Amino acid sequence: MDMNVSLVLALFFNGIVLGLIYAVVAVGFSLVLGVAQVINFSHGLLFAFGAYFFWSISNTAGFWIALFLSPILVAIMGLLIELLLVRRVYGQDPLFGLLITFGFALAMEEVIRMIWGKVARSVSTPAFAQGQLFIGDIIYSKYRIILAIVSLFILLLVWWVITRTSFGAIIKAGMFDSEMISALGHNLPLLRTGIFVIGAFLAGLAGVIAAPLWSIKSGMGTDILMPAFIIALIGGLGSIKGTIVAGLLVGTVTSLAVLFIPRFTDILPYLMLIVVLFYKPKGLFGEVTVLGEVRGE
Amino acid sequence: MFKFKLTVIVSLVLILIAGCFYATSLAVEPIKIGLVSPKSGNYADHGGMERVGMYLAVEDFGGEVLGRPIELIEADSETNPDIASRRAKALIETENVMFLMGGVSSSVGIAVGAVCEAAGALFIASNENSDTITGSDAMKHMFRVPPNMAILVRGAAQYVADNLGKKWYFITHDYSWGQSGTRWARNMLDVVGAKEIGEVLIPMNTRDFSSYLLQVANSGAEVACVTVGGFDGIALYKQMSEFGIFDKMKVWWTLADYPDSYALQPEQRGRYGMMEIYWTATPELIEFSKRINEKNPNAPVHVTETNSYSGWLGMTALLKGIEAAGTTDVDAVIKAMEGMIICDNMQPNPTYIRPWDHQFIDSMFFGVDNQESGDDITEVLFSMPCKDFARTFSENPVDLTK
Repeated sequence: MDMNVSLVLALFFNGIVLGLIYAVVAVGFSLVLGVAQVINFSHGLLFAFGAYFFWSISNTAGFWIALFLSPILVAIMGLLIELLLVRRVYGQDPLFGLLITFGFALAMEEVIRMIWGKVARSVSTPAFAQGQLFIGDIIYSKYRIILAIVSLFILLLVWWVITRTSFGAIIKAGMFDSEMISALGHNLPLLRTGIFVIGAFLAGLAGVIAAPLWSIKSGMGTDILMPAFIIALIGGLGSIKGTIVAGLLVGTVTSLAVLFIPRFTDILPYLMLIVVLFYKPKGLFGEVTVLGEVRGE
Repeated sequence: MFKFKLTVIVSLVLILIAGCFYATSLAVEPIKIGLVSPKSGNYADHGGMERVGMYLAVEDFGGEVLGRPIELIEADSETNPDIASRRAKALIETENVMFLMGGVSSSVGIAVGAVCEAAGALFIASNENSDTITGSDAMKHMFRVPPNMAILVRGAAQYVADNLGKKWYFITHDYSWGQSGTRWARNMLDVVGAKEIGEVLIPMNTRDFSSYLLQVANSGAEVACVTVGGFDGIALYKQMSEFGIFDKMKVWWTLADYPDSYALQPEQRGRYGMMEIYWTATPELIEFSKRINEKNPNAPVHVTETNSYSGWLGMTALLKGIEAAGTTDVDAVIKAMEGMIICDNMQPNPTYIRPWDHQFIDSMFFGVDNQESGDDITEVLFSMPCKDFARTFSENPVDLTK
């Protein structure tokens, strides 16, 4: 193994970039689980639809219109999913939410294949983001650096809304005691719908920004779902700070692992989850456990 | 007495009528062929294309052989050996299917081949390239259509060393087929005067290759020797463009599949690679491309490529084998296929089915992807007959009788 310091630093930096992207995917999932108390396994599907909408719209109307429209379309999809499916399982056994959203996602994966075909699709990075930059001796993708900055901005915006606005205060209160929210006169069903739509929007946005990076294929939602779930659990339910830290942790560890144990990079996030939950069942910054949350304990 | 005689006569007539129906049903009983082909997983798009070719081959045969209609039964292998072997077993045991084809993934092909070997059915590995399929994993009841990695790599290696560079970095899809490609490239290092700089192993279903590509870009290699396929291959190809790998070194794909290049935007392409077929190689292949589009306007790609061609050739060989054998007895069909020469294969060289390892031998094409729009996305630099690079019996002493 020929290891040099600049390569290790480059891999560490790459891990941070990847971690921020994963955190954007995970934050919507974490919010829905924390507030609506639903394990939404259609989150990956929404991510995939974001990428596919972006591909279709950018081929006809251009990059900027696609960037604007795609997450909105996914948010509308999220609204329909919440109204027609998820609303029926609030307050019930968490498995119902998981099963109904997972089954829906599998079925919709077939719809993706029917609409866009089985072949993988590709989107070009926008012209202003093409090319590479040199970081010391290492060449790095310009688009990923821009993506990391955009991802950080999105995460900080979500954090600001949750921690600095009255709407965010209601969301945080809802994580602890949803019945109290109702008793205080807030519309709990509307809150849950709102959070679900926001989560869908974030998933769609993540799909849009990831589309130029990874090949767009029907199974991409399933591929991203487990990393999002793991990061949400490691970080702690509904904790934006936790999601960011967990995303960075998973991203850097898996990036560096390629250098030392490339055959085991896929299982590392799961091992990290086991270790974290063993010592901190509520995640790094969570205040309730997964099952305790969804059972209202 | 009269009533008794009437009863006997009516009974005999009814038995006669029933017997006629039974005989008729036997005569038109279809010949079932199972297509254990991926509709999901890493090779879903390849599976879609190979099935297009298979259906066109059946059409070329008029939809029947030995006076019996051909019935194709599809089963999704999901690019998973366990699932594929279960589905193959179900086809054999519940549908009485004795002829199967498909796979794409070499791991799937080996698994399904083993099921067929145990059951006495015949399997045509239509798009598997790992050399073990006609080597250490060879079976009497399995044939393989496309060139194996030994042929593809040995055919390209000298050109790569002489024209692209002699410092090679291996990027290996970490399963049977990927390891096979890298193994053969390593075998050629001393032969062509090249040197190994390093290797990265890519797990299946990898979505982000940035960490691997940072290592490759930092290696000082002149050539990235890549054996990665399917959706993973497309993602890797795309991200190589993103990281400017094509500006740092040449990229040699040991097996370059057309759908993988076609999936990219023109400006993202730039790899060299060996292909099993290229659609402009003969007028017959161009014509076949038109048929693909007429048959299936929604096909993932619009021209003849490896998967559709190998699906067509594999099905054609099987049907010719059944026709030549004059029976659907599997052993007789195997015997008929061994040593068969197929001249009307749309290629510059006829296809020869080698009897001792069941490997189809015909042609291959080395090219470099261009950045044109449309369907003509690769410039073919040269073509060659596979027989010049195929392993001999002394190199690969396969025993199909064990």
